[in-house]
Amino acid sequence: MTQTQQIRVSGFGGQGVVLAGLLLGQAGAIDGKYVSGSNSYGAQARGSGCKSEIVLSESPVDFPHLIGVDILIAMSQGAYDLYHGEVREDSGLILYDQDLVVPKESLKVKQIGIPATHLAIKRLKNKQVANIVFLGALIEMTRIVSPKALQKAISMHVTERFRPLNLKAFKLGIDVGREIHG
Amino acid sequence: MPLKSLQSSFLKGTFYLSGNEASAEGAIAAGCRFYAGYPITPSSELMERMAFRLREVGGVFIQMEDEIASICAVIGASWAGAKAMTATSGPGFSLMQEAIGYAAFTETPCVIVDVQRAGPCTGQATRVGSGDMMQVKWGSHGDYQIIAFSPWSSQEMYDFTIKAFNLSEKYRVPAFVMADEAVGHLRETVRIPEKIEIWNRKKQKGIPPFGTEEADGVPPMPSFGEGERLLVTGSTHDALGYRKTDDPEVHSKLVQRINLKILNHRKEIVETEEYFLEDAEVAILSYGFTARSSLYAVKGLRKEGRRVGMMRLKTIWPFPDEKVSELGKKVRKILVPEMNLGQVAGEVKKYVTCEVISFNQTNGEIIRPEKIKEELRKIL
Repeated sequence: MTQTQQIRVSGFGGQGVVLAGLLLGQAGAIDGKYVSGSNSYGAQARGSGCKSEIVLSESPVDFPHLIGVDILIAMSQGAYDLYHGEVREDSGLILYDQDLVVPKESLKVKQIGIPATHLAIKRLKNKQVANIVFLGALIEMTRIVSPKALQKAISMHVTERFRPLNLKAFKLGIDVGREIHG
Repeated sequence: MPLKSLQSSFLKGTFYLSGNEASAEGAIAAGCRFYAGYPITPSSELMERMAFRLREVGGVFIQMEDEIASICAVIGASWAGAKAMTATSGPGFSLMQEAIGYAAFTETPCVIVDVQRAGPCTGQATRVGSGDMMQVKWGSHGDYQIIAFSPWSSQEMYDFTIKAFNLSEKYRVPAFVMADEAVGHLRETVRIPEKIEIWNRKKQKGIPPFGTEEADGVPPMPSFGEGERLLVTGSTHDALGYRKTDDPEVHSKLVQRINLKILNHRKEIVETEEYFLEDAEVAILSYGFTARSSLYAVKGLRKEGRRVGMMRLKTIWPFPDEKVSELGKKVRKILVPEMNLGQVAGEVKKYVTCEVISFNQTNGEIIRPEKIKEELRKIL
């Protein structure tokens, strides 16, 4: 099997978990990858624990849900507690919200705190775009999809009114990723 | 999610679509210009996209008062000359059954997408199931045939919706896309080719619209407004459409023909797919989303050197009896995993003499590959 990346974005419904997954999947499709995406549905997506899962692959995806987790984005403590154990040891990566999640220290997984909500409020005056800050940081650190494709995905799926804000949040996330990464 | 104007009736290229959205796009590409429906989880996104797209391409979209009215409007639109469809889930599908019988008996082309959820009754609205696999064939009374597909991806939601329209037009029969919640809500890369093949119903002036010389023929279909004398009735009717409710010969001939026109053309209609069956001792027979789990499980066991293979049913009805019968001669055992209590497994047993093991899960969740692997290990 060629390389496959399995990504789970998680948090509270309302934090933009589903949108983040949609944008990541759309960007993968723009990059020419095979993509399978699924997310919480119904009441779960609106207030309680919420997740969005993406499989990115160079070849057709056999099973479209996650078998293991290569990358976890945890936007809330509840999501972190629920899902950190499924992340692949050694090769896995967890990005968590630095101000909302206290990570476990004993994990054999690379864990990076991202001040996504804090920066979204401080720099963009809108905590709703913390999800996009996460995507910027993730893509800068891993290049699982191209930044250009994600910008295009934002222009496809975010209404004109909020597009500039989301593009700014993405740029902010890339800067955060660059600081941490290099 | 805001829907952006797509501006073209027929999309080309690569898209990232949910199964429900892909089915709507397939319908538009196939020439569907009428949709009547009543929203129901987990099919609503299909209706939402049709509302938007039909406005763009100059079609008609109606939200009806319920599912009975929806299917009746679809049948009426078809007789007015439109390619027409509706989509629903279990509870709505149950309401539609009487009119589906009417569509089958009046030989009305129409497409119905059933995005199955966990039943019976209202069940678990947001959860997955595939409990309508028998209902789609036997839901209305009397002897009739329909055509039903079982998609396993967004791509097939697109492809099979087009196929359903094509075969529905060709055979003048209701055609079904039997999706499930997991496929309807799955979002995947969908590649739409430059050209697609579209079939339209046959028209021939002055030829009887309800009878043919051949015992398994499909008569041409006029529309209201074209100047043909046209009577459409759910009572037994002769070749011209006149009611013949006491004539045994007319009834027998008509019932035979609406069955034979499908059954005698099974080879042209039925599609299956085979994986690793050349030297397999045990096979999985699978369909819908569950087949994705099955394939993953089979590939995993193959890596361990186990002689296991898989047949996937793309068409469920008419049932791929010959293919299944051949499979039964090739392998010792067949495992049939389903999100119901063995509906298709029962059908498989009719056509094979080898052992058939039904693996069922009706908890509103998908059957994961690990579970199928475990079941396979038990019987290998």
